[in-house]
Amino acid sequence: MAATKDFAGTGESTIIGPSILINGKLSGDEDLTVRGRVEGELSLTKTLIVEPSGIVKANVQVRNAIISGVVVGNISATESVELTREGRMVGDINSPRVIIVDGASFRGRVDMGNAEPRPASERPAQRTSPVSRPMVRPAAVVAPVRAPVSVAPSRQPTMVARPPMGKPQPPAAPVIASKGDRETSKPAPPPPPQPVLVGEAGKKKVLLKKKK
Amino acid sequence: MANTVIGSSITIDGEISGDEDLVIQGTVKGKISLKESLFVEASASVEADIEVQNVEITGKVTGNIAATDKVELKADCRVVGDVRAPRILIADGASFKGNVDMDVKER
Amino acid sequence: MANTDQINIIGKGITIRGSLTGGGGLVIEGRVEGQIALKNHLTIESSGVVEADIRADELTINGTASGNIDASTKVSINQSAKVNGDIKATRVVIEDGAVFNGSIEMDVKLPDDI
Repeated sequence: MAATKDFAGTGESTIIGPSILINGKLSGDEDLTVRGRVEGELSLTKTLIVEPSGIVKANVQVRNAIISGVVVGNISATESVELTREGRMVGDINSPRVIIVDGASFRGRVDMGNAEPRPASERPAQRTSPVSRPMVRPAAVVAPVRAPVSVAPSRQPTMVARPPMGKPQPPAAPVIASKGDRETSKPAPPPPPQPVLVGEAGKKKVLLKKKK
Repeated sequence: MANTVIGSSITIDGEISGDEDLVIQGTVKGKISLKESLFVEASASVEADIEVQNVEITGKVTGNIAATDKVELKADCRVVGDVRAPRILIADGASFKGNVDMDVKER
Repeated sequence: MANTDQINIIGKGITIRGSLTGGGGLVIEGRVEGQIALKNHLTIESSGVVEADIRADELTINGTASGNIDASTKVSINQSAKVNGDIKATRVVIEDGAVFNGSIEMDVKLPDDI
């Protein structure tokens, strides 16, 4: 009993345990880890983690999603969606970054929005501030190094004929930077509870039947 | 012990059910049914009918509470609703409005 | 790779329009428009641009591809790739940084009660 008293200190993360079923609408401003089952609608301004035992049968709006369990429904993420080796998903993904790892299974549409003219290899460093990245991967390590390069675009304004090899184009960056990153001290408006989406937001192909 | 925590910024509108302890720090509206213990912490606001084994309330609850074992209303809690359980504890400082029924027929 | 001698390369300066079929492996560094049907591994290098429906056993994309893809084993869309189209394969991998728009069809084994 006494053990529960300590939870108040770490109010930054919500866990849905393996035997728990939530049916309805869930929203919040913190990370959510699902080991049980969530059905209905889910919207978060942070990261959704579906663990291998987790099942989410819902339309999902988040900043990031990392899926190792099962998701049936559409996901709109303002930053990224990752299906890990154990992830299984049926539904549509709308997110500027989508990662599908070998072993994951997926059926549905992927919409990363309009493809920028920049070299794809520069995108991860551009799009996301390293602070808000939920997972450590090589690109994140590189990010701080590359970021200054993009701040000094005046160094190559005459290179018209060449596509911008290796030099990210600054104009494309604010797409993401203005939304998700509360950590930055930019005068960006505070993120609304329902994350704004890149691309067409409302496309919902997979209809969910709620068990009631 | 408690696997499930509904954090303080989380709002759930719907039904929660399960076989494990549940800690609520956020907002829950709807219905909660658990085979184990429910902890409604000080930051929590619950507007739901509750069916559990045990419940310990430090936060706000509006709704009827039925426990198969025990209901504990801690100091500083605010509870509005009927409470039904074989054991009911109301601490000094708790505020409570509703009926108390300790004559549980089943069991 | 076992059949290295069977690997064909479409070099950077080459453009092919029409349908491309064959049994060996193929690496595309140039441009192909039309249709591709291969029994083995197709690699589209980062300089490669393919505007074609593709059938292959396995497909690795580092460059640009638009068209529908049907692979019997695996499709890898690597970091530098840009892909548009619908994909059917047993395994599909999308690396971080890759751009993909389209649908993916894999076998998804869901729990019975979903």
